[in-house]
Amino acid sequence: MKDFIIPDRDFGTPAAKSKRMVTLTIDGFDVTVPEGTSIMRAAAEAGIQVPKLCATDSVDAFGSCRLCLVEIEGRNGTPASCTTPVAPGLKVQTQNARLKQLRRGVMELYISDHPLDCLTCSANGDCELQDMAGAVGLRDVRYDAVDTHFKVKNTSGEANPLYIPRDDSNPYFSYDPQKCIVCSRCVRACEEVQGTFALTIEGRGFDSRVSFGAKTDDALASDCVSCGACVAACPTATLQEKSIVEIGTPSHSVITTCAYCGVGCSFKAEMRGDELVRMTPYKHGKANRGHSCVKGRFAYGYASHKDRILKPMIREAISDPWQEVSWAEAMEFAAAKMKGIQTKYGRNSVGVITSSRCTNEETYLVQKLTRAVFMNNNTDTCARVCHSPTGYGLGQTFGTSAGTQDFDSVEEADVIMVIGANPSAAHPVFASRMKKRLRKGAQLIVVDPRRTETVEGPHYKAAHHLALTPGTNVAVVSAIAHVIVTEGLFDEAFIRERCDWDEFQDYAEFIAAPNHSPEAVEILTGVPAEEVRKAARLYATGGNAAIYYGLGVTEHSQGSTTVIGIANLAMLTGNVGRRGVGVNPLRGQNNVQGSCDMGSFPHELPGYRHVKNPDVRAIYENLWGVTIEACTARVRTSCNPIPTRTTSRRGWRRWNV
Amino acid sequence: MLDSADLSDRIAEIIADHQGLEGPLLPILHAVQAAFGHIPQPAVPQIANALTLSKAEVHGVVTFYHDFREAPAGRHILKLCRAEACQAMGADRVAGAIKAALGIDWHETTADGRVTLEPVFCLGLCACGPAAMVDGRLVGRCDASVVLEVSA
Amino acid sequence: MKIYVPLDSAAVALGADAVAEAIVTEAARRGVTIELVRNGSHGMVWLEPLVEIATDAGRIGIGPMTVADVPALFGGIARHPKALGLVENLPWMKGQTRLTFARVGVIDPLSLADYRAHGGMVGLDRAKAMSKAEIVAEVTESGLRGRGGAGFPTGIKWKTVSEAPGERKYIVCNADEGDSATFADRMLMEGDPFTLIEGMAIAGLATGAAKGFVYIRSEYPVAIRIMEAAVRLAREAAILGAQFDIEIRVGAGAYVCGEETSLLNSLEGKRGVVRAKPPLPALEGFMGKPTVVNNVISLASVPVILAKGAAHYKDFGLGRSRGTIPLQIAGNVRFGGLYETAFGLTLGQIVDDIAGGTATGRPVKAVQVGGPLGAYHPRSDFATPFGYEEFAGQGGLIGHAGLTIFDDSADMLAQARFAMEFCAIESCGKCTPCRIGAVRGVETIDRIAKGDAAAIPLLTDLCSTMKSGSLCALGGFTPYPVLSALTHFPDDFTPAKEAAE
Repeated sequence: MKDFIIPDRDFGTPAAKSKRMVTLTIDGFDVTVPEGTSIMRAAAEAGIQVPKLCATDSVDAFGSCRLCLVEIEGRNGTPASCTTPVAPGLKVQTQNARLKQLRRGVMELYISDHPLDCLTCSANGDCELQDMAGAVGLRDVRYDAVDTHFKVKNTSGEANPLYIPRDDSNPYFSYDPQKCIVCSRCVRACEEVQGTFALTIEGRGFDSRVSFGAKTDDALASDCVSCGACVAACPTATLQEKSIVEIGTPSHSVITTCAYCGVGCSFKAEMRGDELVRMTPYKHGKANRGHSCVKGRFAYGYASHKDRILKPMIREAISDPWQEVSWAEAMEFAAAKMKGIQTKYGRNSVGVITSSRCTNEETYLVQKLTRAVFMNNNTDTCARVCHSPTGYGLGQTFGTSAGTQDFDSVEEADVIMVIGANPSAAHPVFASRMKKRLRKGAQLIVVDPRRTETVEGPHYKAAHHLALTPGTNVAVVSAIAHVIVTEGLFDEAFIRERCDWDEFQDYAEFIAAPNHSPEAVEILTGVPAEEVRKAARLYATGGNAAIYYGLGVTEHSQGSTTVIGIANLAMLTGNVGRRGVGVNPLRGQNNVQGSCDMGSFPHELPGYRHVKNPDVRAIYENLWGVTIEACTARVRTSCNPIPTRTTSRRGWRRWNV
Repeated sequence: MLDSADLSDRIAEIIADHQGLEGPLLPILHAVQAAFGHIPQPAVPQIANALTLSKAEVHGVVTFYHDFREAPAGRHILKLCRAEACQAMGADRVAGAIKAALGIDWHETTADGRVTLEPVFCLGLCACGPAAMVDGRLVGRCDASVVLEVSA
Repeated sequence: MKIYVPLDSAAVALGADAVAEAIVTEAARRGVTIELVRNGSHGMVWLEPLVEIATDAGRIGIGPMTVADVPALFGGIARHPKALGLVENLPWMKGQTRLTFARVGVIDPLSLADYRAHGGMVGLDRAKAMSKAEIVAEVTESGLRGRGGAGFPTGIKWKTVSEAPGERKYIVCNADEGDSATFADRMLMEGDPFTLIEGMAIAGLATGAAKGFVYIRSEYPVAIRIMEAAVRLAREAAILGAQFDIEIRVGAGAYVCGEETSLLNSLEGKRGVVRAKPPLPALEGFMGKPTVVNNVISLASVPVILAKGAAHYKDFGLGRSRGTIPLQIAGNVRFGGLYETAFGLTLGQIVDDIAGGTATGRPVKAVQVGGPLGAYHPRSDFATPFGYEEFAGQGGLIGHAGLTIFDDSADMLAQARFAMEFCAIESCGKCTPCRIGAVRGVETIDRIAKGDAAAIPLLTDLCSTMKSGSLCALGGFTPYPVLSALTHFPDDFTPAKEAAE
């Protein structure tokens, strides 16, 4: 109903990935869709909305609500369109008198166990049950329901044993069982999308109820991590954001990017006036594909926090109070001050630091301001702290400091190696996507001193957990490379074609030395040699192998070396340059990559072009009409180019996707 | 009564005995119930951890199957068949008399903790109904006197 | 002196264990050496416990035995007041065509030697010399259809699994025989477990499956015990092992787990909810791997088909219902039990001739055929021949071939109400028509009972929603008993019937 709030169409079932196309006829229209598509989705692609309640395209088809039944020529009965895949030449009827009657019959049953308080319900106007009652034309409920889940007292005036009061324990959303239609969308979202499995259906038959794990557990006491996937999936007011209950339904929305971690999820900020009502994950967000974690979904109090500065303020001295001024006055004041400082103390006396939460445009403008107006290179970014070893290490090996994959790529990985990271806590939406892949059979290797929840959880368990002694990343990564080289598990064809074979010979000789063997370094790393060998074999031979690493790699004195070692593992085994593989830094903020790309480091102009190179400077000097300072006087790079023989800088750089 | 450490050790043993099976959850729950007479609450997270399941999943399974109890039953369990073949032979009458004699309804336990009365839907004794099961022992052509067997 | 005392659940429920114990005590007291064999049941439940004594002429039956009848066993069998003569000559036995149940009641269920001596393992030995495709073709040719109720051709199911890609495949035996009036699976497992094991091993050969499960309901403790012992013995005899092995699994009190997809969920350790099809279990079954799910009787019929050839089996039956069917005659019945015969007897022949009418001696009012999801048939349906299509044509189903006979004291409104109540109790809760519909069904029938005539069309509408809308046969077939009761016995649904009296 509220398409202006939820403009994303729900196709009912996830998209099929097949490249083979199938043509069928639905209500007389020819529809061509990929093989494996459900009839429901095919109909939706053709603009035909088959009524549905238990289906939503974020989770697999389930077939429980029985509203989406259709008729197929030559087949018996009325199959559910959500669980029936298309087939060539099918003739499907989604609407006729029999189906209409059937859907009304089902809807009449639903409504017989649902309160008729739509006008005062928090989901009024944003409720699929309400929409479907309208869509199927239900006009009357003829049952005299005795057993219900919504009446507080039964017909004889005693307390209704089936009634379960609302659970408000979670700070962000409420669970109101009386409005529940037991479609299991929440349970399936928690399982399939989030991977926490905090929800289940308790009991069976009419007694089936959504449960947070035990009779004694409320939402807060359960395994729930408040990602909000269940709330997003719920078609009714059963699981609902408390903000909606308090404020009402939103009237419009704005697409934005989450300001928390390095995943960079897309959200819809749903508003009423200029009041933020709720944040919902944006289905088309390329990082999150409609999923979220508690931070972006619910921890948005900052947006309207009273401490937030909404107007420009200035002060002469740190001891003075702030005073609000107009934008023009503020700009003038700042410009004059900066100029004054430079006049008094010299050109290099001012500098700028940007956040990696800034957009590419903002970051670009700030470094341009520094270089073209302040006439120095005193620009820096917080990305320096977390991932400059990535910038350096990947730059040295791949020629660019970017991670090699997007987040969708993990769906095609067969072996996932997580090094020095705990995405379950720090990059939850990526962790959910990774776990989804693990549940489908991908293998997991975790290199981390800690036994985090990334090592083991519902329906996944790392094949190998290399619980190394902190500070021994290089030794472990080198030992893995040693096994790959000495056991002949490297991809010679890939190296010959995409890397430098001669350089590789030097490297292989170096890494094959006995002092790099798992057995030799075991005393340092604390990791049993056999585990390292098994992990190395799995990484090298298990199909598409992807490495994801975090601050446990980069925030070490040998961070750059480890990054170089990781890149070497990928090149050795040919695990770079296609989907499902690669070297993937898990960043600290959502635009670490962009802030580096845009030239926020003092030594690099946009596009990682070194400021000392006169040819590079000439480009920007021509564009900006200024002379660019050649030295980086005030700020020195702090990455750690520890001499290493693991690669030749020039040799491996020849690899190119 | 086992203390919690003993309970956890015993459950760990049961889990270890079954962990090699494909789909070991039901055999484990049967064994736990056989050992304790019900599925003790602490068993749920312990089994979940061991099988890389969530505790919600195990809870969902325990509550789906009518065999699994979340609390101990009475000292005797009297199961009476309620299905059609036994009805045709007067099972409803027999059940009514037994309920009256025990003073309890289906799924209830007598106040003295002696008998729990459970319905069962078919014991495969359909040509000699009404059928009953008294503490695991099968009884054909039963009448209300079956109560006497559990009055000890 | 060789004495047979059945270990079959029905015999035990009627006192067989006490009789066996008394025989041992009495023999010891008299200093008589006896060999006591605990066999399966011949299926004449009204004669249980049916004790047999081996003589040169054959096995003499004595029953129904009580402990008090034991001493007389030792004083000349023929003179025993309950002596029945040769069991094989009893009319009930002579009238049958025992193919699947040939050994049940005859042999010691846990003696492989006895099993082989009575034709066991011939089918498996023959299958070992055949290709996968040849075995599948033989089963297809026999016309065997799933005996669990759905009647799907067994050979076609096997072919799908056999040809499905995949290293790992499974044979799952559905022994979750929850329908009231059915006990054929139980009797077979208790009386001739090696037949099932042999049938599963043949299925393994035909499909390339190396692992089988028998999922037995927990309400069958004797069957569980015998099957576990038989699997152990078969392993020791290398009939089961590396090439094909079987595990016994026990259900946990859920009728719906007799539905194949819920059974698979249960076997995997999940809630026994029904899965939507497709995917078919034959392609994505247990643990997502190609899986044959067959009923006990389907699998147990395979050894005789392989041993005697498809044509032998196919020669029995009528129409598209080939071979034999173990009728299970139950409820208010004079002669109740298991009667294996070719398809084609009429309902009247079964009820009046074989079963001898009711136990109470009152007229037969209705016969429910096919368990709790089967229709109630009045006498006017008695000409219907026993076959899948024939019963479907009468708005019913044969299901697992159980028949419950009711005399004229039955209240068909109460039976219709129970059908809805049973559905409500056993519903897995997944699909709406079954989950909510069954509860509303009970309430609506209660309205009818109170004289609310408007509730009758509502009940009819509800049944139509459940029938077409439900995900599986539990919700989908519950309308059969309800509507058949309403259609054939309208007087029981007439409002204010008491007021009129």
